[in-house]
Amino acid sequence: VFFLIVSIVGFVRLYFNTGRPWLGYAVCGLRLLALIINLFSTPNVNYGQITGLRHLRILGGETISLAKGVENPWVRVSELSSLLFLVFVVDASVALWRRGHPGDRRRAVIVGGSMIFFISVAAGTSALIEAGVMQSPYLISFSFLAIVAAMAYELSLDVVRAAQLARQLQASEAALRESEQHMGLAASAAELAMWMWDIPRDEVWTTDKGRALFGFTQSGKINFDRFLNVLHPEDRDAVRQAVAEAVNGAGEYESEYRIVLPGGQARWIAGRGRVEFGGGKPVRMRGVSLDITRRKQAELEAARQRDELAHLSRVALLGELSGSLAHELNQPLGAIVTNAGAALRFLARDTMNRGKLREILEDIVAEGRRAGEVIRGIRGMAGKKDAERQLVNLNDVIIGVIRLTRSDALAHDCTIVSELHPMLPKVEAHVVQLQQVFLNLILNAFEASQEVPKAQRQIIIRTERDGDGTVLASVRDFGTGLPAEAPERVFEQFYSSKKDGMGIGLCIAQSIASAHGGTLQAQNAKGGGARFFFRLPAIHEVDL
Amino acid sequence: MTLAHALVYVIDDEESMCKAIGRLLESESYSVEIFSGARQFLARPPHRGPSCVVVDLNLPELNGLALQRALAKSGRGEQLIFITGGASVPTCVQAMKSGAIDYLPKPFCDEDLLGAVEQALIRASEQWTKSSQRKEVRARLATLTPREFDVLKLVIGGMLNKQIAARLGTTEATIKVHRGRVMKKMGVKSVAELVVHAQRAGIASESTDTTKV
Repeated sequence: VFFLIVSIVGFVRLYFNTGRPWLGYAVCGLRLLALIINLFSTPNVNYGQITGLRHLRILGGETISLAKGVENPWVRVSELSSLLFLVFVVDASVALWRRGHPGDRRRAVIVGGSMIFFISVAAGTSALIEAGVMQSPYLISFSFLAIVAAMAYELSLDVVRAAQLARQLQASEAALRESEQHMGLAASAAELAMWMWDIPRDEVWTTDKGRALFGFTQSGKINFDRFLNVLHPEDRDAVRQAVAEAVNGAGEYESEYRIVLPGGQARWIAGRGRVEFGGGKPVRMRGVSLDITRRKQAELEAARQRDELAHLSRVALLGELSGSLAHELNQPLGAIVTNAGAALRFLARDTMNRGKLREILEDIVAEGRRAGEVIRGIRGMAGKKDAERQLVNLNDVIIGVIRLTRSDALAHDCTIVSELHPMLPKVEAHVVQLQQVFLNLILNAFEASQEVPKAQRQIIIRTERDGDGTVLASVRDFGTGLPAEAPERVFEQFYSSKKDGMGIGLCIAQSIASAHGGTLQAQNAKGGGARFFFRLPAIHEVDL
Repeated sequence: MTLAHALVYVIDDEESMCKAIGRLLESESYSVEIFSGARQFLARPPHRGPSCVVVDLNLPELNGLALQRALAKSGRGEQLIFITGGASVPTCVQAMKSGAIDYLPKPFCDEDLLGAVEQALIRASEQWTKSSQRKEVRARLATLTPREFDVLKLVIGGMLNKQIAARLGTTEATIKVHRGRVMKKMGVKSVAELVVHAQRAGIASESTDTTKV
């Protein structure tokens, strides 16, 4: 009985893959205890004292004997074990049923059900025999047969299924080989180099195409460092970081980088890969690499042309502004020359004291600096080389542009009103390009204001926070407004309402906005005139 | 040359420019007053003496040319010297046509500005003398009776006492008395002097020819 129960418990755990282990252990443990008690108690665990034998005749004329006697109190151990055994099997079957898979449900019903049936019948029969109601113990054996049959049925089904699986596996292997061939063909047609990096061993396998792409010989081991060495020195860190991020959990790797071939030739490569993890650790990364030199060159060429156009339009803007700029320069120069002249005259007449001289010299220095700033501004606008993007406050850019256009505003009888948000988040941008956008908008506003009475010629520049992540600057005039039917047409290339306009200013301003991840929109304002909305993504670090 | 009671106004919205021009003029011992805008200048009561204005053409609100028009309209005779950081040719032409002394693009030579200021003040003081004399003559004229005024007009027309008496229907002796009073009230000793004064005041003579009956 002990071995029977242990084997059933084992079968349930292995085959059903359900059942609470602690219940199983308890069942086996109690049964073992009962066995030990049985060995050490006389006469056995069931009876404390055997008082006699009962003789029974069963079918076929065989006679069996049953003991009669006083119950051993230790028999409860054996009974508890049987009860727990029943609980264990019921629990395991219910769990199996709950998984919901049709095969699992069938197994739960057939095997689990037959076990429960066997245990119940066995226990019930024993009790009935004890009580003397029933005579024959055969029912126990029959119910045991039922459970064995059920288990055998299940096992034979499994054998059949295993054979089927084996056939399917063969078929799918063939299909896999075929699809690998297809993949290979597709990859070579798309000029893709496939690779696989065994991370623990640091070994890279790649297709012949891959070796050719990276300039590796057809044999010879490749590892990660050897791969990095082929990269352009400026791109190594970025790639190393992208790979590290993928390996350390992100899983996906993607980067564009340059490689330098042994002949010194540079190529642009795009790489994509996916890391496979095993036991929480990166095991390997598979991926593809593609030569994107041609696309990259086209992109760079397009960017170069865009920069060139932006530069041309900046120079054109400067041309429009030249009067203003001359004024901005002549102002400090005039003050310097006049101050110096005054000082010389004071000295010649010997009416100069140290305090007065200091005052004059300080003013000369300040004005000289101011002239220098104007020149730097012009050089920045006219220069082709644009500095790196930097964190800037849009308010500062606007104040600078207003200063630059001040005398132009006077010449057009326009007043500029600025309503600048005091706590504006910064944006990351090319300062010169932002200046270009605002110059464009302001000069257009001057132009648009010429048709309306002087009292109306006002331009309102406002900055504000637009939601959480956006900085909004708007430029509003009270001029003639935009074409009512299609305000956005002003952004079209070669669309111009000016006599001598090229029609590229706003188009370029919009492309500058989008290159910075922002937008430039226009609409007719209520109460006349146009309003332009320039939005840029905010960098979160409030400028205090 | 510095004139007593002369004053130079400087109007520029650039404080640094105002200060610099002020220093330059002070180095030559001119009296200077500085304004940051044309309106502030107009709000000041006119100077009682020769004066000139150094003014930037590009001023916010009221620009240089508008100031020139405003001064002309109110009959003030200040001489204007325009300075500019970069105004267009038509603006300069307009300024000069309207009687500006000079037009100086910044940065200008200190001699140029001082020369212009000197010239402006000479013109201003001449004007000032003339207008003060005119004022004096007018004041004296105001003391004449209508009869004496009639006699004055006929005297400067070159008529003799006899002719005047006949013209006004009175005796020669009466005219003689009138004539004596006129000479006294006008503060002159000769007829020639009287003629000059009357011309300054812009009084037309009544000649013999036109009054023949």
